[in-house]
Parts: sequence; structure tokens; C-alpha cells
Amino acid sequence: MSVPLSHVLIVASLMFAMGLGCVVAWRANVIMMLIGIEIMLNAVMLTFVGGSAHWGIADGQLFSLMLMALTSAEVSLALAMVVYLHRRKQTVNTDQFDSMKG
Amino acid sequence: MLPIYLTFMLLLPLLGGLTCAVAGRKLPRALVEVLACATVWGSFACAVLAAAAYTGPQVITLADWFASFDLAIPISLYLDPLSLSMVVMIGFVCGLIHVYSVFYMRDDEDYARYFALLNLFVFAMLTLVLGETLPLLYLGWEGVGFCSYLLIGFWYSDPNNADAGRKAFITTRIGDVALMIALAWLFQLFGTLSITKANGMGFLMPGSVITMLGILFLIAAMGKSAQMPLMVWLPDAMAGPTPVSAMIHAATMVTAGVYLLARLLPLIGSSHAALAAISVTGGLTAFYGATCALAQRDLKRVLAYSTISQIGYMMLGVGAGAVTAATFHLLVHAFFKALLFLGAGCVIAAMHHEQDIYKMGGLRRSLPVTFWSFLTGAACLAGIPLTGGFFSKDSILLAVWLKGGVLYQALYLLGLLTALITAFYSFRLMFLVFGGGNGHVHRSSGLTVMQVVLIPLAILGLFGGLLDLPSYLGGGYLSGFFATLPVTDLPTGSHEQEIVLQVVAGIVALLGLLVAYFRYGKGRAERMREAQAQPSGLFAFLAQGWYFDKLYHLVLIRPYQACAGFLSERVDRGVIDASVDGLSAGVGGVGRLFGRWSTGKVAVYLISFAAGGALILCYLAWLAL
Repeated sequence: MSVPLSHVLIVASLMFAMGLGCVVAWRANVIMMLIGIEIMLNAVMLTFVGGSAHWGIADGQLFSLMLMALTSAEVSLALAMVVYLHRRKQTVNTDQFDSMKG
Repeated sequence: MLPIYLTFMLLLPLLGGLTCAVAGRKLPRALVEVLACATVWGSFACAVLAAAAYTGPQVITLADWFASFDLAIPISLYLDPLSLSMVVMIGFVCGLIHVYSVFYMRDDEDYARYFALLNLFVFAMLTLVLGETLPLLYLGWEGVGFCSYLLIGFWYSDPNNADAGRKAFITTRIGDVALMIALAWLFQLFGTLSITKANGMGFLMPGSVITMLGILFLIAAMGKSAQMPLMVWLPDAMAGPTPVSAMIHAATMVTAGVYLLARLLPLIGSSHAALAAISVTGGLTAFYGATCALAQRDLKRVLAYSTISQIGYMMLGVGAGAVTAATFHLLVHAFFKALLFLGAGCVIAAMHHEQDIYKMGGLRRSLPVTFWSFLTGAACLAGIPLTGGFFSKDSILLAVWLKGGVLYQALYLLGLLTALITAFYSFRLMFLVFGGGNGHVHRSSGLTVMQVVLIPLAILGLFGGLLDLPSYLGGGYLSGFFATLPVTDLPTGSHEQEIVLQVVAGIVALLGLLVAYFRYGKGRAERMREAQAQPSGLFAFLAQGWYFDKLYHLVLIRPYQACAGFLSERVDRGVIDASVDGLSAGVGGVGRLFGRWSTGKVAVYLISFAAGGALILCYLAWLAL
């Protein structure tokens, strides 16, 4: 049984759109934004895996494995930063952190 | 030995000037004064030694300056009767002026600058006179202009003095431009800048080219020698210290133009038009200066206009081809004009720096030495018979008369009229300054020495005629000495002619003296009353120098200022500055506009990022479809 590539791509794009929507809309909470980023990354990995299956080449699968390692590292760093930010301002609302205003 | 003398003649004032300029402030005052005087007198001694060792015209090359392709300019000096007589005169007169300056500038704090400039002035003038190549002459020419600029504006804290210095510099610069063009053209024509070579090559060129060259050199001389129409700077140059005026008027600076023309006469003398232009310039300027001197109230301004007038005579002489007569007058004039200026310095010092001749009087008894010296100087200036000025001025008039032709005879009559006016204003000055009631003077120990300096000059002025007696009295030393110069093919008159002309000149001078006596000697009280009133009509016209300053102000300076104002307001600030300002304001505005985008809020960046991604996707989609 094989899933056509187009279906995989449609699911991946929907996931990516939902992840993006989550990041843009849920900015009151950094953690929810991070979850949105994870969803987008998952959509990307799904695309890789789908492509890999479609063409029968292992490269895409390898790349998604690498992405998993990268994501775990990123998440651990990001969560540490969330803890740090929370200590500074007692909030996780990103709109409160606007010291980069130009 | 000659090269050594000449080298030291030039180097001594240069070294003195540089030492004063570099270390003058650190050295004790007495040392600076002694150094400045000693170097000039040393230079004079070298000039005398050179004169003793002189055998004939000689080009002495001291060193190579630069040589590339066909342009070769060595540092070479030319010693001939003309330059030799000039350097001896310059050394002597400048030496006396230096000694005089020591006492005149006794209370001035800035002695180091003063003596440094004075020494450099002498060096520049000697370079000008001795230079065999025109660029060397030009260096001296510019050096003289530069030093005079700094010395005229010596008391620069008064803006009037600084303006006078600038006026002198800018006006003479107009002439310098003509000289520069003439030099470039001369090189293009002859392929050489050596004066002696160029002088011998005049016949190679068509007459019109020579005429144009002559006119260019004449314009150069007009600037430096304060001839019409570039004479406006000289009366204002009185702003400098009095010894500086004496130096500018007598030995250096203003004689440079006459010297240049006399030096190049073999080249430009073949053009009758150029000679006529020189003569007419000289004749008119002589008349102009004399008439203006009639109405001046400032002692030094009278002398300044008299210089313009006398230099006019010299130009007239050069224009008539009489280099000997012109140089003769130049030398004698240097003595008596230095005498008059230094005498005026004594008077001014004794009168608490009062320069209005109507406020003076009675100095005959209180300053006897100055009186007698000044009388000698005035007699020379007026051309009273048997003084040096009489013989020298008369030899010029004689040469002009003998040249013949309507133009030169008219110029002779103009010269004679000028001589009458000259005699009149010289003695007007004498009667006003020294005649009349008793004057109160301020004595100082310096004044005594300053008066002593006048005596040798008075003797030289009085007996200057012996340098070149007319031929019916056995002929002159100078004429014989100058006989080696390339241009001496002048018509010589018979003895009777000479005597008649000299008698006429003598009568004219005595007539002027007589009129001055009746008007300012006997009618002194009346003139004093008149002087209270505001000058009007012809008197004001003359007092203002024929309104030449106003004319130039109207014709040149006002349009120039209007043009500069327009360019500054409208073009520079209105267009150039405004466009640059507008550009920067525009860039800044755009930057501020985009700057508002970076709010620092992560969400805005994210949305922008997403929107950018969406745009790229749309573009790709559009491409694919």
C-alpha cells in the first residue's frame, strides 16, 4: 500500500499552515509558539519522508533523522531560555519582550 | 671671486631673514637688530666688492636648478651695469633703512617678524635684479610682492591695515598674471627663458608678437610699479610702518617694474607700439600722481603719489629708449625718496604719529637736521637746478624730446607740466610742515640717530647729479658705464639743445617753487582756514585720486560682490547645499519610516516573515503557472 506523494504533501502543507497559525496567533505564550514551530518542523520532516518514499532514496529519511536531533537540541535550548525569560519578567507573553525596538 | 661675492650678497639677507624668522623670538632684541643690519650691510659690502671686481657683463651660473627636455633653468646671475648699479643702490639704501628701523620700531614688540620680513624683502629684490633667467626673476618678483603684503599689513590688528596689504597684493597680482603669460609665451616662442638669450632673439619674431609681449610685460610693470591703471594700491600701502614705505618706494618693489622693462628693452624695444604704450603709460601716470599729490593732506600720501609720479617719469624714460636716463632717475629717486620717507618718519615720530600736514608747522627750528635733509629731498623731487633730481629728470625729458614725433613731444610737454606741478606740491609740503609758527615736538633719543641716517641720503640726493652730468659738462659716469648695454643707439642732441631744455626745466621748477611760496608760504594762514572746510569740486577729485578707487569699486568690486553674493546665496546655499541637505533628509526620512517597522515585538517579525514567505510562494506559483 502506498500513499501518493500528493496526499503526503497536502497533509504536510496543512500541518505547516496550522503550525504557522499557531506561532502567529498564540503569541501570548512562548511555549505555545515553540509547539507551533515543532509542528512546522514535523511538516517538513513529513515532506522529506514522503519524498524519500516516492523516489526510493534514503536521503530524505536520513535528513529527517538529523532534523529530529537538531530539533531536540533546539527545544532544550529554547526551554532553558523560556525559563530565563520568565525569571526576568514573570511572564511568557512575547509582546512584553520588545527591547529590540529599533 | 665674483661668484663668491654674488652668492654672499644673496645669501646673507636670506640667512639673516631666516634666522630672525625661526629663532628671532628666542634671541635678545639687540642681537636680532644687529643681525638684521649686519646682513644687509654685508650684502652691500659684497655688492661693492663685486663692483670693484667687475670687468664686463657676465653670466655667472651658480648651480643647476632643473632641466628636463628642452626646459633648462639654471640658477644663474647676470651682472651688467644695470644690475650692478641697482644692487649697490639697494644694498646701501636698504642698509640705511634697516638702521633707521632699529630706532623707529624701538617700541614695537614684534621686532623679530619685522626684521625677518625686511631682510627677506632685500633678498627677494636682489634675486629679482640679479636673476639671469626669467623664472628666477619671477621668484624675486613674487617674493617682493609677498614681503610687501606682509609688511604693509604689519600692524594687522587694525583691519584697515590688513585690507591695505591685501589690496596691494591683489592689485599687483593682476600684473603678475600678465608676467606669467609672457614667460610661458616667451618660452614657447624662443625655447629659452634666459634673459640674455631672449634679448638677442627679438628679431626672429614678427613685430606684432613683440608688441604683444611688450604689452604683457608692461602690464606686469604696471602692477608692480603702480602705474595707471593699477596704481590704486600704492597710496594705501602707507598703512605699513614708515621705513617699510621708504623701502617699497625707494629701493625695492616699485622700481621692479621699471627694471623689468629696462632689462627686456633689447627684446621689446624693436616694437614702436610697445614703446609708445610704455611712454604713454608713464607720462599719464606721472601727471596723475603729481595732480593727486597736490590735494593730499596726509604727509605720507603726498609722498606716495609723488612716487607714482616719479616712477611714471622712469617709465617714460624707458619708453623713450633711454635706459641710462631711466636708471639714473631710478637711482637718484631711490636716494631722495628714501630720504623724504625717512624724514617723514622723523616728523611723524616727533609729532606723536600725527600725519595731517595742516596740523603741522614750525618744525624748521625744532627739527633742524630733518628740515635741511627734507629740504634737500624736496628740492630733488621738485627738480630745483643743480640737485640730483634736476639732472636725472631732465635727462629723461631730454631723451623724450630728442626721440621726436608728435607723440613724444606731447609727452615732453606733459612731463614739463608735471614737473611744474611737482615743484609746486613739493614746496607746498615744505611750507606746510616746516614753515609757520613754532611747533611742539616730542623728542626721544632714537630721533637723533634717525636724523643722522638722513644725512648720507641727503648728500647723495644733492650730489646725485654727478653720477651722470650732461654732456656739455663733460659727460657722465653712468652714460659711459652703460654704454655697454645693447640699446644705446639714441639720438644725442647738440649741447645748445641740452642747455636750452635744462634752462626751461629749471625755470619751470623755480616757477613751481615761487607759486608754492606765495600760496603756502605767504598765504599760509588763509590756506589753514580753507583746510577747515570740506574739500569740494576739483580739490576733492584730486584728493580722492581722481576717484579711481570709487570707479573700481563701482565697475569691478560691486559687480564682483553681487556675483559672489548670488553664487553664494543662490547657487552654493540654494542649489548645492540644498540638494545635499534634501538628499540626506530624504534618506533619513525613509530610514525612520522603515525603522517604525522594527517594533521589537516578535510577533510582528514573525508575521512579516510569513508574509515574505507567502509573497515568494506566490511569485513561484505565478512563474510555474
